[in-house]
Amino acid sequence: MTSQALIFTLSALGISETVYLIKKRLLFQKPVCLIGENCLAVLESKYNKIFIIPNDLLGLLFYITCSLITAFLVIGVSPLLLWANIIKVLIAVGSALSIFLTYLQFRVIKAWCFWCLMSACIIWLMAVIILFTGRLY
Amino acid sequence: MTKSSYHIVRVGLAITFIWIGILILKNPEAWGGYVRPWAVNLLPISIAQALLSTAILDIIIGVLFLIDWLPWLAGLVASLHLIIVLAVSGITDITVRDIGLLAATLVVTIESLPIYIKSFFKK
Repeated sequence: MTSQALIFTLSALGISETVYLIKKRLLFQKPVCLIGENCLAVLESKYNKIFIIPNDLLGLLFYITCSLITAFLVIGVSPLLLWANIIKVLIAVGSALSIFLTYLQFRVIKAWCFWCLMSACIIWLMAVIILFTGRLY
Repeated sequence: MTKSSYHIVRVGLAITFIWIGILILKNPEAWGGYVRPWAVNLLPISIAQALLSTAILDIIIGVLFLIDWLPWLAGLVASLHLIIVLAVSGITDITVRDIGLLAATLVVTIESLPIYIKSFFKK
């Protein structure tokens, strides 16, 4: 239950953050950049999409899926093993993608985006929780 | 209240409300124990149905807080909901934390009230 609560909390933080970024993008407004000054350089770079899907939307879908699966695991919606495996795969893929996107900020774009780093940290924390707890149901 | 502190309270409340909703959905019978007998007798529906409705309401409130859509309305409903919870369960060692939640929901409601409602009260 503790690991599920932590993963759910992190997913909810991710939903809140990505919704904020999507709103700002749709309204053509500059997001608040709490650390650093170059959030827009990252958010408006050519790497802000994967195929045709904007990264913020992809992130939102990822976090919604994670929170829904965590809810299913808590409530006990079958098949629990399948849900647990899906969330593990999702978080593994998400972690790898976050490493790549952080590398792009560091080496290619040469600018840091607070919200992107926060999202990466959320996903890595989820991965650490799964690594340490193993079973999710 | 600064904008960032408002968002911290909003997201914190969102997580609390959704998680409580999920826990009630998991085991509604266990949560029924918190409702005082006099309140159960007043219900037109079964206690299980009432708690399932509460769980859905909690999740809806939480989602509205989380996506920052109509947060004042969610805060208002959440405040009324918490007042009812305090009334029907009494203030015990467990439910005393609802007072803090009630204060937080009132903060979100007041901070996010639309200008037309604020100006109505200022007249």
